[in-house]
Amino acid sequence: MSGIAKEGTLRSVADFMRSYLLVVLIAALVIGTAIFEPRFLSGMNLINLMRQFGPLIMVALGMTFVIMGGFIDLSVAGIINLVAVVTISLIQIVGQVPALILGLAIGAACGALNSAVILSSGALTQAEALFMTFGMSTVYSALALLYSHGSTMHFWDINKSKSLFQAIGAGKVGPVSISFLIFLALLALLWLFQTKTTEGRAIRLTGGNKIAAELVGIRIRRSIVVIYTLCGLMAGVGAIVLFSRITTAAPVIGAGFETNAILAVVVGGTTLKGGNGSVLRTVMGVLLIILMSNCLNLLGVSPYLQVVAKGAILVFAIWLDNRKQ
Amino acid sequence: MSASSDSELIISIRDVSKTFPGVRALDKVSIDVRKGSVHGIVGENGAGKSTLMKILSGVYQKDSGTIVFDGEQIEGTTPQQSMKRGLAIIYQELNLVSTMSVGENIFLGRFKEMKGMRGSHAKARELLDSIDCKVDTHKLVSQLSVSLKQMVEIAKALSFKSKLIIMDEPSSSLTAEEMAELTKIIRQLREQGISIIYISHKLDEIFEFCDTVTVMRDGHAIDTRPTLEFTRNDMITKMVGRAIENEYPPRPAKVGGTLMEVRSITTRKLKDVSFTLREGEILGFVGLVGAGRTEIVRAVFGADKARGHSVFIGGKRVPIRNPRDAKRAGFGLIPEDRKLQGLILPFSVETNISMASMDNFSRFGFIRRSLEKGIGERQVKALSVKTPSVRVPVGNLSGGNQQKCIVGRWLEIAPKIFIMDEPTKGIDVGAKYEIYLLMKRIAEDGGAIILISSELPEVLNMSNRVLTIFEGRITGEFDPAVTAVDRIMASALGMKEVPA
Repeated sequence: MSGIAKEGTLRSVADFMRSYLLVVLIAALVIGTAIFEPRFLSGMNLINLMRQFGPLIMVALGMTFVIMGGFIDLSVAGIINLVAVVTISLIQIVGQVPALILGLAIGAACGALNSAVILSSGALTQAEALFMTFGMSTVYSALALLYSHGSTMHFWDINKSKSLFQAIGAGKVGPVSISFLIFLALLALLWLFQTKTTEGRAIRLTGGNKIAAELVGIRIRRSIVVIYTLCGLMAGVGAIVLFSRITTAAPVIGAGFETNAILAVVVGGTTLKGGNGSVLRTVMGVLLIILMSNCLNLLGVSPYLQVVAKGAILVFAIWLDNRKQ
Repeated sequence: MSASSDSELIISIRDVSKTFPGVRALDKVSIDVRKGSVHGIVGENGAGKSTLMKILSGVYQKDSGTIVFDGEQIEGTTPQQSMKRGLAIIYQELNLVSTMSVGENIFLGRFKEMKGMRGSHAKARELLDSIDCKVDTHKLVSQLSVSLKQMVEIAKALSFKSKLIIMDEPSSSLTAEEMAELTKIIRQLREQGISIIYISHKLDEIFEFCDTVTVMRDGHAIDTRPTLEFTRNDMITKMVGRAIENEYPPRPAKVGGTLMEVRSITTRKLKDVSFTLREGEILGFVGLVGAGRTEIVRAVFGADKARGHSVFIGGKRVPIRNPRDAKRAGFGLIPEDRKLQGLILPFSVETNISMASMDNFSRFGFIRRSLEKGIGERQVKALSVKTPSVRVPVGNLSGGNQQKCIVGRWLEIAPKIFIMDEPTKGIDVGAKYEIYLLMKRIAEDGGAIILISSELPEVLNMSNRVLTIFEGRITGEFDPAVTAVDRIMASALGMKEVPA
């Protein structure tokens, strides 16, 4: 029987590695870089890290629900473009608080539109959703270009009060940035939504098996509307955090966010097959990606090679996910 | 066990063990198969039959033990290597490329060796002729019936000059005639000196053509003997580990007044279907696969769109637009395909059981975990689901236990009308009986059941009343207790003149 016992230990080590691979990787990355490059732990660098965390994590948190529900959303780049240019110009027109609210509403509306297109076409597979939302992304991006005439807007062009956005972009409470506090609050809310609400459960069931879920009376169409609307809303939040930080909004500001968000979600361990996943995992995924690019920067690795590393990690994450099954 | 020298054996399995997380799937299993014999393997789902076969073919690796195939010890093999070595396996869910032709499927990946497509088709023709199969080698596999696909698989196995062919539940979706055809081919293969391992739940087949039988239970090879030395009861007792008196419990006794009335469902496949269901009754639907049995219940349940469809419960019209409405109106459904439509395989037993009754353990849209935990535990206990805990993925359980989880999911909300579409498909004898008892209990508690089954004895023995369905219409209504089977079958086959 000792054979079995030993096998059991080996297996639990393997299980541990699978579940906590990410934590191990992050720890290794931090320790390794700190040894080779002491600047890594400097206050400046850590603040810089926290700031980078902002926009991507917002988008990735929303994306987590779409992927958990068994779908995917490539339109977040387009939504970010549109929300950013419209919101910044609205500050001048309607004032900052209405601008903020309208900006978020546009993000949510774009997401809801995605779900409406998907549901009305009946294209309920992940692959179909991929192409549908890719198409919608170009639509939103084009609208952003049309609206802005292709030009970039700056905070200094606005002569009305923009203190709210300046606070989001650079404000601090003690040593902690306001955008980080926003992130913590949203994370807590979304985590509650994911784990404690019936809608959160419905999303997981839909992602796990749409047909089975529908046959026990789960409103899968509603779940699809919810995940896309939420994802659009969070892309809107990401857009606002992003342009507030860099104080300008170009109509191409969102480029690349869709791939990075999906990367973060999948690397975090939310399965592309739908069903299993968590916003907490996504936080780890984002952390890993940002830390990695920061470390590679500090170590002087070529940016081209960094792109290769990102791609490799995505492939590896999907590979690992499939090996688990 | 009769001693036979090693040279007479095509395969010798010695003390093979395999453990999966939490399950000892095989425990020191030893089986010898003689050359040129048909060796049956029977056992309940979860007995380890499929695991053993997957080890033989190289899909899984054994943890310990030895396997000698045709005088050669096998270690760390892959399915491709096994094929080349002469060990072919034909799975229940056939492994063909449906968008390619018959000939292409047989020589998939070997076109070069066959000197191109023309050679492949010619050789395929030859192989198919050798088993009396007339199908055109240029036909797409997607256009073939299940039995023809099986023939293609057999031809493919022959193309590798297989010495041993393993058939995993080959009969589960065959008609009686197709089965007779398969029986003929199996005998023919045996005459050619090819050995066959035949896995099945159906004892009739085992007794018909197997030379030797191994009974497996809980990962052990319980007994191996010449078929003639077994009696039917003997075999069932060994399979389930206890004696089973009857295959079916008596029908529910107290049938009350009308519970539900369905008026004129019409869909693309159904023509003006109307019927009633009474309290405490089991109503059986009899018909060929594709006759529209499943379509009727799906339309009633709101899973498919239907025109001019009205369901009356207790005399009142209930609008059912989707499964959610159906659930609210007191319906429960065990869908036809357990894995595709019933379960979320990677999710826990608990989540799979609780998913229909979310309203019972939530308030204001928030889940109350303490209540949910009780649900999983309660149903697992009530239905004696065999599982190490409610937290393991439901996909790890055997077929019968998976089905119990689906039943339990609905029992939690106590539906008045329970629709069961092939509730015992792919489930072993012992678990079947338990499901039958459950059905009886549901009916006797005042519920009603619509039962669809392709196993005629099951519908006839369980139902108080059966409706025959042919080409989307109801063609007859019978009391199975007093009606001859051939009259019911004739009606299900759409014959006007019903033999007396």
